Amino acid sequence: MTQQTKSILVWDVPTRVFHWLLVIAFAIAWLSYEDNRYLDTHIFSGYTFLGLLIFRLIWGVFGTHYARFQQFSYNSTEVISYIKGLFGEDLRHYVGHNPAGAWAIFALIGFGLALTLSGLFVLGGEEQHGPLAGIVSFRQSGIFRETHEVAAYGLLLLVFIHFCGVITESLLHKENLIGAMFRGTKSADTESASVRPHRLIATTMITVILAYVMATFGGYLTETADQPYLPFKGPELVQNELWQEECSDCHFAFHPSLLPARSWQLIFKQQADHFDDDLDLDEETVTELLAYANANSADLEQIEPAWRMNSSIASKDTPLRITDVRYWKKKHEEIDAEVWKRDSVKSKANCAACHLDAEQGTFEDADMRIPGDNSLDSIEWLKSVLGGAAK
Amino acid sequence: MKKYLFVILLSLSLPTQAITLDDLYKRYSPEGESAFDAERGKQLWNQKHTAEDGKIRQCSTCHGNDLSKSGEHVKTKKVIDPMARSVNAERFTKMKKIKKWFKRNCKWTVGRECTNQEKGDLIKYLTQF
Ligand code: HEC
Ligand code: HEC
Ligand code: HEC
Repeated sequence: MTQQTKSILVWDVPTRVFHWLLVIAFAIAWLSYEDNRYLDTHIFSGYTFLGLLIFRLIWGVFGTHYARFQQFSYNSTEVISYIKGLFGEDLRHYVGHNPAGAWAIFALIGFGLALTLSGLFVLGGEEQHGPLAGIVSFRQSGIFRETHEVAAYGLLLLVFIHFCGVITESLLHKENLIGAMFRGTKSADTESASVRPHRLIATTMITVILAYVMATFGGYLTETADQPYLPFKGPELVQNELWQEECSDCHFAFHPSLLPARSWQLIFKQQADHFDDDLDLDEETVTELLAYANANSADLEQIEPAWRMNSSIASKDTPLRITDVRYWKKKHEEIDAEVWKRDSVKSKANCAACHLDAEQGTFEDADMRIPGDNSLDSIEWLKSVLGGAAK
Repeated sequence: MKKYLFVILLSLSLPTQAITLDDLYKRYSPEGESAFDAERGKQLWNQKHTAEDGKIRQCSTCHGNDLSKSGEHVKTKKVIDPMARSVNAERFTKMKKIKKWFKRNCKWTVGRECTNQEKGDLIKYLTQF
């Protein structure tokens, strides 16, 4: 056993800030993945996570002594003998990472990279957002989604193992390692020296992340009821003035990307009996509207909803209603019957009541809010806190 | 703001679209306004018709009982702007729109297209508000 004689600074400030921000980003990503409404938050945590990992890779080469990968690159014999030592007499103390812990850290970084990079592919493929938009197709995105999910569970398991390891080490050496990751100090022999804290780099890291928080969520603070903040802007879909004029009087003008071309053709063919109404559009008008519908229909799969709607319609079917399509039904089945009856909603066809970007036709996951549901309480709270702080 | 600007530009560029009431009456009868009766229009507006599905249909089914207030499409629940010109100056200014909706709404409500006489009567009644 090494003689423990003094306490030195082992973890510099950037390493500690990295560690705890990574924990927070990971937790936020897990909390926000399920509900589509929070996709913006999920993506925010993903980018933060990736940014932190990249920082750590750089810091692993240029950072302070104990943060360098070189310092804790142990081979398998060292790991095995360390673990054996835990159960025997030869309990060794390491000032930096112990060999088993070091391996866990490399695995954590590896899985973290797999997780965030596959996430970028899902974002590009399914949502057509991010750097890979337009490069990955909807159909290719399935494999990346699976990778993303496996990596997420794998990382969760690794975090658990890492945590158990930390607890075990702490008990065996009677040294609080969790506390050490906050304070940065550990006990060491006399030859070891403290590392430089590098506070400026840590401050820069936090500033950059705060700026990113403001860039992502600042819009919620300035939004008004008339101009709600759209965290996601979808690709710009083609609009048509005549379509808007002719189809928006009796109901919200559905974007053509919500139904396949054969459905629109049938709708116009049966325009004299349009859900019991006679649209009575002249030939010229029908020609223009149909040309627009054909050129922007769901079978072109230009955006995620179009792709999903189209894939859930059997090729022999020609639905006349968007609300009859399987994908639409599936996405809305969990909404309470009471919600549909609210004054602010009233009809299933009133897409714009819940989808802030319904007019644009993009139906981005994060641009959806059920009116009257105050799931945004946390934002209201944040607003009041920030408003108070500003005063 | 943008919206208003758009409307102004539109009305400037398409002066032929705006139609005066006199022109409107002349379209439905050579005698113009004097051929029409607001009382008959009122009756028609309030007349109840039984549709094939057994439900009562009348103009107020969608336009509501108070013409100065917004109505609501009976099926889709979409808000319909008030009919009264005192609150909605755009009413009865666009021939194409008037034609289109008389045709649709008469067919749906009454079960047939309205005659020119009926249309003129309805306009005379509705423009009182
Ligand atoms: C005169 C009134 C009227 C006009 C104008 C009109 N519709 Fe409709 N539309 C209806 C009604 C009524 C329904 C049935 C609503 C319901 O049952 O909830 C409907 C339903 C629909 C639906 C199915 C919605 C669903 O439930 O998924 C589509 C699609 C549709 N209309 C397309 C169009 C298009 C395209 C135009 C423009 C060319 C148009 N409509 C113009 C009255 C109208
Ligand atoms: C009462 C509110 C409400 C109305 C009205 C409504 N939706 Fe939705 N919609 C939702 C909710 C909630 C979700 C998210 C479900 C989930 O989390 O998977 C959703 C999801 C969707 C999605 C999937 C988005 C994605 O990429 O995952 C599409 C597409 C969509 N709606 C289209 C429509 C259309 C088209 C209409 C009108 C015909 C409509 N919605 C009307 C509440 C509504
Ligand atoms: C099924 C619902 C419904 C019924 C019933 C209905 N309307 Fe309408 N009406 C509409 C809609 C929708 C519009 C177009 C929306 C708008 O202009 O705000 C409209 C517009 C009109 C307009 C156009 C006015 C203008 O110049 O802007 C006239 C005229 C009209 N309706 C007359 C009638 C008459 C007369 C009846 C009864 C015979 C009637 N409506 C019954 C739904 C209805």
